[in-house]
Amino acid sequence: MTTTTTETTPVIPLPARAAAALTGLGALATAASAAMAWTWTSDFPGDLTFYGSPAGLQWLALAAGLLTLVVLLGSQGVPGLRWATPAGSNNAVLYAATGTLAVSVYSVASIAVELDGLVNLEPGGWVLAAGGLITVLGALGLPLDRRTAVPLRIVDKRLFLLVPAAPLVWFGTHAIPEDKPVAPVLTALAGGVAIATGAVLLVQLGHLANTWLRLGKIERPLDAPRALPSWVEVLVIIVAFGLGLFAITFGIDTEYGELFIGCLLFAGPTLAALTKSGLIARLRALTVKHRPVTTGAAFAAAASFPFTQSSDQYTSVATNILIFATVALGLNIVVGLAGLLDLGYVAFLGVGAYSAALVSGSPASPIHVQFPFWAAMLTGAAVSMIFGVIIGAPTLRLRGDYLAIVTLGFGEIFRITMLNLNGTTGPKVTNGSNGIPRIPDLEIFGFDLGKPHTVAGIELGRFSNYYLLMLLVTAVVVLIFARVGNSRIGRAWVAIREDETAAEAMGINGFRLKLLAFALGACLAGLAGTVQAHVSYTVTPDQYTFAEALPPNSAFLLAAVILGGMGTISGPLAGATLLFLIPKKLEFLADYQLLAFGAALIVLMRVRPEGLIPNRRQQLEFHEAAIPAQPTGEPTALTKAGA
Amino acid sequence: MHDLPQQLANGLILGALYGLVAIGYTMVYGIVQLINFAHGEIVMVGGFGALTAYLALPGGTTLWLALPLMLIAGVLVSTLTAVAAERFAYRPLRNAPRLAPLITAIGLSIFLQQLVFSFYPDAKKARVFPKIPGDPFSLGSVTIQRSDLFLIIAAPLCMLALGWFVTRTRSGRAMQATSQDPDTAKLMGIDTDRIIVMAFAIGAAFAAVAAVAYGLRSGQVDFRMGFILGLKAFTAAVLGGIGNIYGAMLGGLALGLAEALATGYIQHLPGMHLFGGGAWKDVWAFVLLILVLLVRPQGLLGERVADRA
Repeated sequence: MTTTTTETTPVIPLPARAAAALTGLGALATAASAAMAWTWTSDFPGDLTFYGSPAGLQWLALAAGLLTLVVLLGSQGVPGLRWATPAGSNNAVLYAATGTLAVSVYSVASIAVELDGLVNLEPGGWVLAAGGLITVLGALGLPLDRRTAVPLRIVDKRLFLLVPAAPLVWFGTHAIPEDKPVAPVLTALAGGVAIATGAVLLVQLGHLANTWLRLGKIERPLDAPRALPSWVEVLVIIVAFGLGLFAITFGIDTEYGELFIGCLLFAGPTLAALTKSGLIARLRALTVKHRPVTTGAAFAAAASFPFTQSSDQYTSVATNILIFATVALGLNIVVGLAGLLDLGYVAFLGVGAYSAALVSGSPASPIHVQFPFWAAMLTGAAVSMIFGVIIGAPTLRLRGDYLAIVTLGFGEIFRITMLNLNGTTGPKVTNGSNGIPRIPDLEIFGFDLGKPHTVAGIELGRFSNYYLLMLLVTAVVVLIFARVGNSRIGRAWVAIREDETAAEAMGINGFRLKLLAFALGACLAGLAGTVQAHVSYTVTPDQYTFAEALPPNSAFLLAAVILGGMGTISGPLAGATLLFLIPKKLEFLADYQLLAFGAALIVLMRVRPEGLIPNRRQQLEFHEAAIPAQPTGEPTALTKAGA
Repeated sequence: MHDLPQQLANGLILGALYGLVAIGYTMVYGIVQLINFAHGEIVMVGGFGALTAYLALPGGTTLWLALPLMLIAGVLVSTLTAVAAERFAYRPLRNAPRLAPLITAIGLSIFLQQLVFSFYPDAKKARVFPKIPGDPFSLGSVTIQRSDLFLIIAAPLCMLALGWFVTRTRSGRAMQATSQDPDTAKLMGIDTDRIIVMAFAIGAAFAAVAAVAYGLRSGQVDFRMGFILGLKAFTAAVLGGIGNIYGAMLGGLALGLAEALATGYIQHLPGMHLFGGGAWKDVWAFVLLILVLLVRPQGLLGERVADRA
């Protein structure tokens, strides 16, 4: 469609050999710096003061340096490493180098900021900084896939009025006496204007950089992979998932915010580099070929997570991630497949949780029965489904937008009702805001999930047990999603999502199928809710709000689906993991978490509406729609390349 | 039932408030088919804009002087926010699939709420808003708070002005044309971008009026006030038939009345004695919405329109 003319030239004119050597040197230096001391004091978290024993951020630097080196050698065609860059594009090297630079600059900057000044760097720190810079400089000298011309975009010119306005507002506020009640308001306003000015300048700087770099993509067909014996292919898949498990475990176990940010800074460009290098495409081809092995490996990797943990501290986080991710996957059926916007989805989780809590034998429950777990699970799922049908039946006959508001209303009704059923403003069922506490631990076949057990010499605590149970539920939901999604029903859902009128003309009963999607989604959320009630001991109404600082809530669930990628299985799982970990790990963001979340949603919709892991078909749709809107088409081509 | 007139008056006043906010939803929806979830937050921002103007005036200024200034400040802040949101968040997504701008709207709503929460001084708790001083006055058995006078005067004025604008001015007719068929309107030489901005701006101005009314009524503004108000107003817009500006007002009044009556009388129904009172009024409002949608899916005044493919 867009035949942008591309070329293969370096950004910085350097001889190709010299550039490659420079990049390699930088990458090696960065990796080597991991074995040196970066700072003299152990005040910086992770204690980076030793020679020869990497810790924390140093591991990241080592990994980034080595990865850049491997990708570089692969793209240079070094025999034996050719597999690392099957697409043969130097852009992959540049992305890997960017990751290296990000890790090194971030490490050096955070050391300098936290310990007050660059004097706190040991030689290792300087090597690290220099290594990162040299790597990127070298990579910019490599022949890169670029577009021949990118016209310079200028942000709305009126916005540049902010630049002179910011100091004026600043002085204006300082002219007002401090004791006026309006003074603090104006000070906040001046700060806001300053930040807005900074943002405008930053965006313009980004446009300038884009015009200078002109990074694009040449469609390089991947040559057919060398035929490998099938056991080798299976082994590759298993190793890949092992590495994935290792990476996720590393991310969950990060003990301080600096390391977690380092991980994110490393992971982003690295994923881009692997995609560019063609490795991801290769791996995807393999996983498609060996689907059962892939699924098995994925679940084996997930199931072995508790065995890598020595305490219950992080398995509880992992359990909550699983709950969140499972619910997000259920929502993906409703939103991603059938295209129904459900803004009160968390209420179905709540319905499941409350149903399970009421029949759990908790002393606070007015119903003094204790169902066995399977019965409680069925109850929760069934009650949730009934509510789904009650909400869905009247609204799904209408235009799609009404569903959004009715579900949003239902989410609120659920919360308010649970608050009101406290004996004073309504019948006594749920104890109002105190919730139903002391939900007993589950016992399945005489196996008490509340007590630690020793399996294969490793003690599994309470959360590990629930983690494994929840993993089973996740597996069931994934199975349902995959089977239904590929069935006649799933295709009908997609057809309805795309064009309901056309779908009905093809003989699809739109209302019945939409109701099915809605009820199935509700049922799966209820299922997850039954486990959640037992994991968290207590169910209270404020666990199930529309938007709150901590997931799961309806807004975060929706964001997990959108961020991850609608209509895919791995997308919401990845999205939910990220959305759960980021607030958890970056507690210093606490006050501004939701602010950042809101801003991120807006920006994400602007630049990548198809999510992190896009559904192939959907990605095309999104970009087809965008092309006529922007005839110059530059962001389009960029995101397409980024995919 | 002796307090029926009082309940009706309460319902109508509340309904007028919902109606003013609902105008914003319905105008934007009528033209770009977008549920602007952030509209509730536009109301909230307007409230804080008016509060700022009040704080900036020297202490002891009479409210008769302060109120117009507060109104102007509120309208200014709301309108600027809405226009900026349209320009930077919604317009780039004009041709994106339907779900994308909705997510942006949710993001914007959270963003604005948190912006005020984090950066407006002392906004973590509700901030005191001035009230019109003086005793409530009574007409027969109905008592009306003095602060509600503002709403009673402003709401009909706003509606009349809007009705005049939409039917009698060139821009208003262009707006109608755009909402009926944007492509043809464009062919007729209408600058639809300008019309869309105008719809956002008018909705925001009404939102600011509603915010001032809300502040005067409850004596406070807080960063969360937009959420439930926006939800109710959207319900009102749907109730009246979304896209129809008179429907929005009618829906608002109907919703307000239903809420007041449910609060006052539900507990007297047999078997419902535990479900009345203020705690359940939001629940009944949504039950009403679902019931109306069941019987009359296009809303009270809406016409049946085909889905846009």
